[in-house]
Amino acid sequence: MTSFAATLFDGQNAARWPVRVSASGDDLLVEGEFDALRIPRAAIVPDAPVPGVPRVLRLRGGGAIETRDHAAVESLWPAQSALARFAFRMESSWRAAAGAVVLIAAAVTFIIVVLLPGAADEVADRISMDAERSLGKYAFGSLEESFLKPTALPEAQRDELTQKFASFVADDPDGRNYQLVFRSAPGPNAFALPGGIVVVTDDMVKLAKSDSELLAVLAHEIGHVRGRHALRLLLRQSGVFVLVTALAGDAVGMTILAAALPTILLESSYSRQFEQDADDEAFAHLKRHGYSPQAFADLMRRLQAAEKSRTDDERFFRYLSSHPVTAERIERAEAAAR
Amino acid sequence: MPDVRSADEGISQFEFTGRAGDYFRIWIVSLCLSLLTLGVYSAWGKVRKRRYLYAHTRVAGDGFDYRAPPLSILRGRVAAVVLFGGIALAGHFIPLLQVLLFVLFVVLLPWLVVASARFNARNTAFRGITFGFDGRLGEAAAVFIGIGVLVIVTFGFLYPYYRRKRAEFVVAHHRFGATQFTADIPTSAFTVIYLMAFLMLMGTVVLSIVGVLGALALAGMSGRDEAPAALSVLPMIAIYAVYLFIFAYIRAGTGNATLNGTLIGPIRLRSSLGAWSLAWLYLSNALAIIASLGLATAWATVRMARYRAQRLVLVTTLPLATLAGAADSSANATGSEVSDLFDVDVSL
Repeated sequence: MTSFAATLFDGQNAARWPVRVSASGDDLLVEGEFDALRIPRAAIVPDAPVPGVPRVLRLRGGGAIETRDHAAVESLWPAQSALARFAFRMESSWRAAAGAVVLIAAAVTFIIVVLLPGAADEVADRISMDAERSLGKYAFGSLEESFLKPTALPEAQRDELTQKFASFVADDPDGRNYQLVFRSAPGPNAFALPGGIVVVTDDMVKLAKSDSELLAVLAHEIGHVRGRHALRLLLRQSGVFVLVTALAGDAVGMTILAAALPTILLESSYSRQFEQDADDEAFAHLKRHGYSPQAFADLMRRLQAAEKSRTDDERFFRYLSSHPVTAERIERAEAAAR
Repeated sequence: MPDVRSADEGISQFEFTGRAGDYFRIWIVSLCLSLLTLGVYSAWGKVRKRRYLYAHTRVAGDGFDYRAPPLSILRGRVAAVVLFGGIALAGHFIPLLQVLLFVLFVVLLPWLVVASARFNARNTAFRGITFGFDGRLGEAAAVFIGIGVLVIVTFGFLYPYYRRKRAEFVVAHHRFGATQFTADIPTSAFTVIYLMAFLMLMGTVVLSIVGVLGALALAGMSGRDEAPAALSVLPMIAIYAVYLFIFAYIRAGTGNATLNGTLIGPIRLRSSLGAWSLAWLYLSNALAIIASLGLATAWATVRMARYRAQRLVLVTTLPLATLAGAADSSANATGSEVSDLFDVDVSL
């Protein structure tokens, strides 16, 4: 026969009565410093057990019997909700706690590594062409204010390049209006903004030995625009809140994105995958227009050599810091040229 | 025969007997299952965590009992998410709705305070007697909106008065069984605390300006054209340290004033929270939580509960056993849960 020590609270007064409780048929026999009570077991609602917390048997009318004897209560009322039993077992075990830590770490990692980038790409695909254009325009405005100076290239050279570029991008399948912009900035550089503004620095124009080399690097930038790589990178780094607002087409969300875009373009580097995608796009585009991807390999080699010899601190605005070039990429260009 | 009814007369120290390791397991299982069930389990987890913390908060030989049904809490959470999430989402398309959301929140605030206090009180018991909260919506509106507007109109000058009225409203409408609480908070208590906090803040600002200017002048005399980096960092650290202390000072001061001004029939409470100890707890808890990537949260909760209990004493002129219970009606969780979502501080 089960019997356990407990405290009775009668629900009438805040008195505590130390009692001994035992099962007697369908009743609980409660004995203390008063006439023994018989309480029908059906009139008692046991709580859900929590490790380290006394069991509370709630009585009809507001009183309660409290005991630390989990085992005795468990043997009298074994039928509890499966959820409570499961939680109790987990909460009692250090091994389960360690498992929970691992699971949480895995879930958080999954959210950060898989779910958020996936959601970011999904959102990037859904942003309208109009929104992309205004985002690019806004970002270009703030870049002009902070980094870019007017070009010093002769007008004739610029006109010629602009014309070549225009026929180079005339057949865009996504309907973007690409626009080539010459600016002066420290070092050889080229980058494209969402919407199709392609910026090339004077030094980059000078570094290119031929128009086909320059078009090769511009084709690569156009590849980034087509793949919406800047948008993807930006959305991946901006967290859930911005994702939701961007998806809803919210003006505040778009402004936050546009404000962060220049920094992302200048400071973060594209992933290997983005570079490869942009390269493939560029090589195909070059070939379609009768240029050889070899030009790309040549320019990249020269760019690498040029950057190695530079000693200044302006890593911020270097082509190779935002577009890591590997021997592998140069090889792929040469393979595409063959 | 020993008289159990008189055994608990006099002074009784609160104590917290929970252990960080035990609480950690309940906490981490709750977090894990909540994550796996996309938040549904959080209602059950909340009740289980709270039951542990309440049961280990003990006075006069017994712990507190938290009785909230998880399903009520879940219902409240779903209602809160649907209501506020729905309006917030709709606000993306119809900006006017965002204004409406704000107005709705302001109008709902008194109801949230009253409903959540009622829910929590009804679901908390000590020695088989449940607490209760009978605050009226009209009075809550007068305090939270009426005096709240006065605070804005007077540029914050009436803020201490607002906080005292708020505390009095919450305290005075609680009851333990049939015993009504009364609030006896000295008129000047909150004013003095906030005035001191304001003076400390002003003093720090002035001192750090003087300090920076002085150091700049020194650097200038020693012929260096650039100030050392420490100059910009040190005042920032000093100011954050003072913010932390002021925050702890206000929490300790207002907490003590409120608890010490709480009368429950023959019972008085004696709270002696210290600003320095609280500041240290806040700082060390925050550092530990950051360093452990959040795992130390349970340990921090237990530490704080232990300190608060250590600093709380119950004094009664009559045996606790003479306090009578009262009949109670059913509870409704929505108020508590909506206020949980927005972290409205309605605790004592």
